[in-house]
Amino acid sequence: MKIVILGFGAVGQGIARVISMKKDHLKNKYELKPQIVAVCDRSGAAICESGLDEELLLQTKNDTGKIALYPDYGYPNMDSLQVLDEIEYDCLVEVTPTDINDGQPAHKHILKAMEDGKDVVTSNKGPLALSFQDLADCARKNNVEFKFEASVGGAMPILNLAHETLAGCSIESVYGILNGTTNYILSRMANEGSSYEQTLKEAQEMGIAETDPYQDVEGIDAACKIVILANSVLNMPVTLKDVKVEGISKITSESISLAKKEGLLIKLIGEASSDNLEVSPRLVRQGSPFAVEGTLNVATFKTDLADDITVVGKGAGSVETASAILSDIVSIWKMRNKKNN
Amino acid sequence: MRFNLVLDVPDVPGQLLEVFEPMGRLGANIVAVIHQRDVKTERGTVPVHITIEGDKEILDKVMDALLSKDINILQVDGVLRKEQITTILVGDIVEKDLQDTVSKLNKLNSVKVADLDLKMSDDPKNSATMMVIEADFGQKKEVLENIKKLGAEKGFLVINEV
Repeated sequence: MKIVILGFGAVGQGIARVISMKKDHLKNKYELKPQIVAVCDRSGAAICESGLDEELLLQTKNDTGKIALYPDYGYPNMDSLQVLDEIEYDCLVEVTPTDINDGQPAHKHILKAMEDGKDVVTSNKGPLALSFQDLADCARKNNVEFKFEASVGGAMPILNLAHETLAGCSIESVYGILNGTTNYILSRMANEGSSYEQTLKEAQEMGIAETDPYQDVEGIDAACKIVILANSVLNMPVTLKDVKVEGISKITSESISLAKKEGLLIKLIGEASSDNLEVSPRLVRQGSPFAVEGTLNVATFKTDLADDITVVGKGAGSVETASAILSDIVSIWKMRNKKNN
Repeated sequence: MRFNLVLDVPDVPGQLLEVFEPMGRLGANIVAVIHQRDVKTERGTVPVHITIEGDKEILDKVMDALLSKDINILQVDGVLRKEQITTILVGDIVEKDLQDTVSKLNKLNSVKVADLDLKMSDDPKNSATMMVIEADFGQKKEVLENIKKLGAEKGFLVINEV
């Protein structure tokens, strides 16, 4: 299986790492031999028809910061769309930085690959939150697979859980803690009694919160995931503007200590149900499945047959997120094999 | 037939008698009573567990009589009649707002603010108040919506239960 990776940040590098780590496993278990034939970042591209070396890709990026400096096969300043035209491949892995204003450049990458008849795996929330239905339609029209497990809850299996494992159930609603940064901040505030500003600063120093934390703390990131869940799991054709969003920046240590007195915690909860799309701080009981600490994510499906199903897992991280992308790659591989036989 | 009831009785002398009066008058048999004065609800009331026996007609009349005496029935045969809703408001909460918020909530059908806790912040704009609200079972969604609406009107951040 020939793979093109667009974007070589934490997630892109994680994929190179897991493919390198899991080579034998994938071959023995699925007869899958993934080959990374092209990688793009801001500097340009590295392209090799017979497969790039994963370790050399990681080393090049690590040493120089530029994938275009890959020995012998580097192409400085080559445009990502041009790469997709130049090379023969089976599956695009789109992991460029998320833009929640216009979804670019991921949106045009995904459409181009699909129109060329290629399968697509992505972790990119931007294009999904802004134009989910267009992308899903395009995939259908071109008869290609489009998978995005890693876009919600990182390593935590959630979309495939709903579609595959719970295939016989109707899912009525989804509730979840879908942003690790805010969960870390709220957990620390509850444990230390510290103020929001102080805790945010600490999280930034530790690299858990970004220098510009706006999308995390104001609930935008979680809202993108709610849009993806609503579309993918509940079949609701909604976009980011349909979600009521309230972040955690107004949460005070006073409100947290009042909640604690009653055995409650304040968490940033996303909700997707047929009559409500919302991200807001909510009260959850200590000791309940939602009382997870640190950067963990959690989600509960309310289903008709299985009642409540809850998953907990790491919502971010390079290798962790790549694990979800690899699952998507494997399931596309299995599906293609079934079709071809 | 039998009804297992959980009633909510004020911790004041003579209250238990008030509860028993319609039962005796209407001819329901009292099978068991559990009354522990040291176990209290948020409002300082005492939950009393009573099992009564009799014809359905008589038991229905007893229930009506209890309700007309404003005795709070929390559970019937393990099914909740009342539920508690906890909510936290954050913002520039002053005395006037509190009074107004509580009275607006109390005006909603069968809704009662049972407990209120206030924590003032150094920055008055960041004060927090927690309310425990009791409402008839099944009304939770409506009550939460109303709290949200009230919060939006007054510019408070509303933190509701999941």
